[in-house]
Amino acid sequence: MNKTGFLYDERYLLHNTGPYHPEVPARLEAIYSGIKDTNLLSMLTLIKASSADLKWIETVHEKNYINRFKDACLAGKKIFDSPDNQMCPETYDTALLAVGGILDTIDLVMKNKIDNAFCAVRPPGHHAEISKAMGFCYFNNVAIAARYLQKEWNIKKVGIVDFDVHHGNGTQHIFEQDPSVFYYSIHQHPSFGYPGTGQEFEKGSGPGYGFTLNSPVLPDQGDSEYKKFFENDLLAAFETFKPEVIIVSTGFDAHVDDDMSDIRLSTEGFSWIMGKIVKMASIYSNGRLISVLEGGYSLKRLPELAKNHVEILLNS
Amino acid sequence: MFVSQSMTREVITINKDADIFEAKDKMTKHRIRHLPVVAKDNRIIGIVSDRDIRSALPCSLLKDYDTGKVREKLLAFKIKDIMIIDPFTVSLSYTIQDAIMLMQKTRVGAFPVVDKQGRIKGIISTRDLLHAFINVLGIEESGTLLCIIAEEKIGQLKKIVDAITEENISFGSVLVARYWDEGKKAVFPYLLTKKVSHVKRKLKKMGYTLLDPTEWYINQIAQDN
Ligand SMILES: [Zn+2]
Repeated sequence: MNKTGFLYDERYLLHNTGPYHPEVPARLEAIYSGIKDTNLLSMLTLIKASSADLKWIETVHEKNYINRFKDACLAGKKIFDSPDNQMCPETYDTALLAVGGILDTIDLVMKNKIDNAFCAVRPPGHHAEISKAMGFCYFNNVAIAARYLQKEWNIKKVGIVDFDVHHGNGTQHIFEQDPSVFYYSIHQHPSFGYPGTGQEFEKGSGPGYGFTLNSPVLPDQGDSEYKKFFENDLLAAFETFKPEVIIVSTGFDAHVDDDMSDIRLSTEGFSWIMGKIVKMASIYSNGRLISVLEGGYSLKRLPELAKNHVEILLNS
Repeated sequence: MFVSQSMTREVITINKDADIFEAKDKMTKHRIRHLPVVAKDNRIIGIVSDRDIRSALPCSLLKDYDTGKVREKLLAFKIKDIMIIDPFTVSLSYTIQDAIMLMQKTRVGAFPVVDKQGRIKGIISTRDLLHAFINVLGIEESGTLLCIIAEEKIGQLKKIVDAITEENISFGSVLVARYWDEGKKAVFPYLLTKKVSHVKRKLKKMGYTLLDPTEWYINQIAQDN
């Protein structure tokens, strides 16, 4: 049995995306209730959010971008950078709380207080570019987490696994020249799904060539295709790379009942994926794994998916 | 959309009296496959492609053809001996569509673009046309592709476009393609958003069939074979 952390904070509900937006606070409430109602809370180390120091945000994002975001928020703007990024006056502070909570979670893992953790944060992060907000994302949570692990905890090799149904363009671009961070993403094929990046032939550049790996999945595919890609692509890559810590961009939007995509992954398929990742963490990274929430929009399915996710972190 | 907007303006040309090696080096250096041959007044007199050069040179397996005696013999060949005289050209007022059609018909990989006096103003190659096509598709911006099956009658496209526009979503492009059922068309709007579930539900409610694009693709393959 592992010691598993669970980052959750009611202040994550304050980021309000306005009408007709799928990235709603109710997503997080569904995730929380899925874990609470199955009596898992008492088995978890509960972590509350704290606001991130700007110096850590600046390891990934340009100062000018951070200020533009803050100013837009203060000015009461409803949209930032792209029409998908609807926001409210609390958005900037919530985004800082998301990063801060994740960094605190990393401290607990690195001090061996916990083995692994699930960070149920909003807003999500993997689409956020160095100086552009897009796809509901503002600060690239996992990218900042990777830089924090390297700078604060002297970790040399970070492995990121992104199984959100959308490609994490931001994360890829931030690390594409960097051989110390391996980015793997499995997602709906970019010709059919947002944001249009993550082709098979995108493999990093310069010294980072070979440290980015994409598995695009055609619409209508599900568990068997995912298993094939995971086993052929990711397992082999990590066997060579041997990450010292694994960060997971956890998105539940590839689920068959999630209408954000045309991928048909089952609830069991998600469990299989997570089981594989946790196993890799035990082989290569001493069990150190930090899972960070990205997408997932089916309010009906999120409770069971979150419950299974946490159980796998606890039990493997 | 005119070729003048998509062509390469800085044309690398070659003199008719240059030798083959000079042409070969120019192509390698600039990573191009066509060199227009121009007279002093910039009028186009020919074009030479990497294929023309390759067939003029001995087999590339003969490693040392560019040294010694063989080279000397080859140096005697000039561009004017191997160039295509009076090549196909297009004028500045040609559209991209014209250029694509002409390319398909002539199987030529690049056309010099000339003014009324026949002076070179640019060159348009398959590479430039591909770039123009990417621009038309709008796929350099982030977005999501939908596939909608619509009756082939007036006003369908307007309804679809209106329904999407009402959701405040911008378009990267809209393509219309043939569909295997008679009297129906496949419409592919490329939407510059990640937020498509709401608009998808709306289109379904309006009675449209939303198709998984691969289904369309696989059926097309079945049809073509
Ligand atoms: Zn997603």
